Amino acid sequence: MKRLLQSGLGLSLWLSVWLSLWLSPGGIIGVAEANEKLIIEAALDRQIVEPVLAAFAAENPQIDLDYRDRSTLEVDRHARDRDSPPDVVISSAMPWQLALSNEGLAQPLEAPEVDQWPAWAKWRDEVFGFTFEPVVIAYRLELASHMLPPETHRDLLDLLTHYRQWLDGRVVSYSPRDSGVGYTLLQQDARYTPRMWDLIAAMGAANVQLETTTQRMLEGLSDGRYWLGYNLIGSYALLWAQTHPDIIVQVPNDYSLVLMRMVFVHRDAPHPAAAKRFVSFLLSRRGQHILAGQTPLFSVRDDVVGPYTAQRLRDQVGDHLYPIPINATLLAFVDSLRRQAFLRRWDREIQILSE
Amino acid sequence: MISPHTSLKRRLTLWLIVIVAGLGTLLLIEAYTSARKAADRAMDGQLQAASLTIAESLQWPEGKPTLEMPASALQILATRWQERVFYWLQADNGLSITRNAELPITAAMQEKARHQPVYLDAVYDGQPIRLSGREVDSAGWDTQEPVQLWVGHTRRGRDLLAQELFRKSATRFAAMVLITAALVAIAMRTMLAPLRRLRQALRDRRADDISPLRLGVPQEMQELIETLNRLFADQRHHRDALLRFIADASHQLKTPLAGLQSTSELALTRRDPDAWYQALTTVHDSAERTSRLAGQMLSLTRLQHLGLGHERQPLALDQLMQEVAIDWADRQDSRDHDLGLAIEVTTPAWIEGERWALQELLNNLIDNACRYTPSGSEITLLLTNDNADGDAERVVLAIEDNGPGVDTESLARLTQPFERGRRQDTHGSGLGLAIADSIALRHGSQLKVSTCVPHGLRISLTLPRCEPSEESET
Amino acid sequence: MHLLVIEDDPLLSRSLTQAMSRHGYTVDALSRVDDAIQALRQGRFDLVLLDLGLPDGSGLGVLEWLRAHADPTPVMILTARDALEDRVRGLDLGADDYLAKPFSISELEARVRALLRRSQQRLDNSVRFGDLVLDTRSAGAWLAGTALDLPRREFSLLEALMLNAGRIVQREALENRLFGFEAVGANALDVYVSRLRKRLAGSGLAIRTLRGLGYRLEASRETFDEARHE
Repeated sequence: MKRLLQSGLGLSLWLSVWLSLWLSPGGIIGVAEANEKLIIEAALDRQIVEPVLAAFAAENPQIDLDYRDRSTLEVDRHARDRDSPPDVVISSAMPWQLALSNEGLAQPLEAPEVDQWPAWAKWRDEVFGFTFEPVVIAYRLELASHMLPPETHRDLLDLLTHYRQWLDGRVVSYSPRDSGVGYTLLQQDARYTPRMWDLIAAMGAANVQLETTTQRMLEGLSDGRYWLGYNLIGSYALLWAQTHPDIIVQVPNDYSLVLMRMVFVHRDAPHPAAAKRFVSFLLSRRGQHILAGQTPLFSVRDDVVGPYTAQRLRDQVGDHLYPIPINATLLAFVDSLRRQAFLRRWDREIQILSE
Repeated sequence: MISPHTSLKRRLTLWLIVIVAGLGTLLLIEAYTSARKAADRAMDGQLQAASLTIAESLQWPEGKPTLEMPASALQILATRWQERVFYWLQADNGLSITRNAELPITAAMQEKARHQPVYLDAVYDGQPIRLSGREVDSAGWDTQEPVQLWVGHTRRGRDLLAQELFRKSATRFAAMVLITAALVAIAMRTMLAPLRRLRQALRDRRADDISPLRLGVPQEMQELIETLNRLFADQRHHRDALLRFIADASHQLKTPLAGLQSTSELALTRRDPDAWYQALTTVHDSAERTSRLAGQMLSLTRLQHLGLGHERQPLALDQLMQEVAIDWADRQDSRDHDLGLAIEVTTPAWIEGERWALQELLNNLIDNACRYTPSGSEITLLLTNDNADGDAERVVLAIEDNGPGVDTESLARLTQPFERGRRQDTHGSGLGLAIADSIALRHGSQLKVSTCVPHGLRISLTLPRCEPSEESET
Repeated sequence: MHLLVIEDDPLLSRSLTQAMSRHGYTVDALSRVDDAIQALRQGRFDLVLLDLGLPDGSGLGVLEWLRAHADPTPVMILTARDALEDRVRGLDLGADDYLAKPFSISELEARVRALLRRSQQRLDNSVRFGDLVLDTRSAGAWLAGTALDLPRREFSLLEALMLNAGRIVQREALENRLFGFEAVGANALDVYVSRLRKRLAGSGLAIRTLRGLGYRLEASRETFDEARHE
């Protein structure tokens, strides 16, 4: 009788623990349901990040990955959707990601990976910069036979000034008006040197062509429509250059901006457990290792070894890498007044030498 | 909680706990509020810095205010705790310049900010935030449209800072309390050490040790030691008196006993009945004397070692005197004397006294008078009013005889034990008057010895009258 | 006269026995309470000398027994305890007299004589003292055989004194007896006393004045007060 009672007690205890875990929303352990969905809104090419996604899926077969590859604008819009918010938001538009966090749309993450993440690559433990992509100059190999290929911003300015006729209509860069990334890069450029405006003017004088994505810039370069590109995202460019040997990618020697793609778990994520698992994975050694070995995105963690690590980049390029800081300064870029003023100036500068 | 028996340590501890708890709570409250204030001051400094940086960037090209938001200002606002940051700029006419949040800024708040920068708490999006607002005018030749400049951030850093400061304060306080407690415990032990030493000194004494206590003690205890020493001195005094008395008494006893022994021993060697008769007479006398002495000594000892006369009750002195007088008059011992009684006060004369003691006193006085006066002497017991003060509130009990009396020198010493005043005595103990004096003292009075005119001895004592009791002594 | 001495101290017991025997009394000496009660049960005694501190109980036990059996034998208590309580208790219980130890033999003898005389007087109606005889019934008095013709008050006075022969009779008591509640002068009694004295002159008996206390009929001696008061 006593034994029956004891075993009955034990069983009910065990059951209640299981039940509570099952019923709790996510819970401490975060046991995911069978076939839990995970909605990721990402301004990041699927094919580039595929190895990471595959590894995650392999480790978490019960999670149904719904990866939505979109533009930065669309990603931002979806993140603000009150009715059906996504679980995870990834974007290269750093100011907008920080603004989302500032507006309280991100939720803090508690995990050992977060504690280990470098302080300069995270904000409020909510949003994390998990890639380390240099911003580069790209040009066609042929260019070198006509002129000295540019290695610095100054070189670029000289080229544009001396070879203006030759380069007319053959230079490409981001449209700050239409591309959040492009706008951000230019704002950041302007912070470092006012001479950037000279470069803008020179580009304007050379009838610079404006694109909205690095991809299109690369396609144009390979097609031969463009011979020189400025402020391309290095990860894409390097990947492209692997299969297109006629394209040379140059990390500027004087200084090079570094773009950090930012990720966060949405405050109103419908599947928070899965979302947290995913982001933790991105930040983990394993996730970063895959990033460093199988993607050109450059890992951030310094305890990871591979061809594409931040450390390797630093070793190669030197100390002129200026990662765009993940802090409140980014919010200045989303200030509409400032943006309008900047664009107005850009418009002016672009025209200035054309007259 | 605190009774007279509570130990000093316990009392001190309780008091300290109360004080520490009370003061401590106040201190901790104060520490908390000042920690918050300090945190606020520190962080408000950041708000101020950010606000000023933004203010400096305000321009009024063509009279309308505009701003290139300085990125550094926002980072200052965020502080190292990575707060959420808010800014809100509005021209005085209500036109918004730029903002990143719809902050709850009322007209009242704007009014306050008009005069000087304000810092206040608010709630935005369900979160407590800290706001700072100021009004910025352009410096220039023309007075331009002033601008309400408001910045704010969440409170996480502030709260953390306040907590940290408070924790530091509390830890310091706790440490201080512990150290103080330890020191106080040590101090208490040191303070109470003299008491312990006293206790030890007293314990170490033998039970009958009444020598003075010599102990180095603090001022407060000095009085205690002095009182103890006085007590010991009194006891020494008593003991010395007792020893003297015992020495005297032993001498007094041994003498007749020795006489007894030698006389009887001697008589045993003789065969002559006349010698035996003489010897026996002497032995009889000695025996009587020793017997009487023993009795008297017992009386005296009893008197000296009883407590104060608390058993005094109202009794009619005149009746007592009559009883005693009749008793004596009926005895053989007084048949050779003319013993008389003279009551000269309103009767009954109620006084507070111990019956047996006064009886003993009267017995002794009469016995004394019989012994020390020749046959045929008059002995009178008197009870008169004390007219010295002119009041009838006191009565005088006296005995007078017309015997040879005592010379003036010996008069004063007459009440000392074994003092006979150079009078011849056969069987007296020498203690009779000493006993009577003791009894007088017990009743708050004293024997007065004087000479009668033309000759004789008068011994008297004065007693106050009292109210008769309900059950009157008859 | 048959006397019973109950005393446990052998020395004192012997002394008492000898003293009493000297006067021609027959003396039995015992030392224990139960022995004493046994003796009292069996025989009749004229006087009991009783020590209180006996080995097998307080002597008061004997006294209680006696009075419980309505035995009027006079009892004199001898006690070393001079406490008032013992004395009062003893007298309350029915002892006739008490004497504190140590006492002189002559004192004891006088008191024993007085006690015996009193008990004697309760038995027959005549009172004797020395050469004086009083018949209380016929109110007659004889001195050495010669009848005394006494007026009423003198007889009353003599009777009072003789009934308490050897003991003081208080003045107040005599005044009450002689004069009742009549108001009389302070010296009225003295007059009667001096008259009686004249009659007793040379009889070997005398009335002694005790100042402030009373008068006592006693065997005459060369007393000074006769000379003083006559």
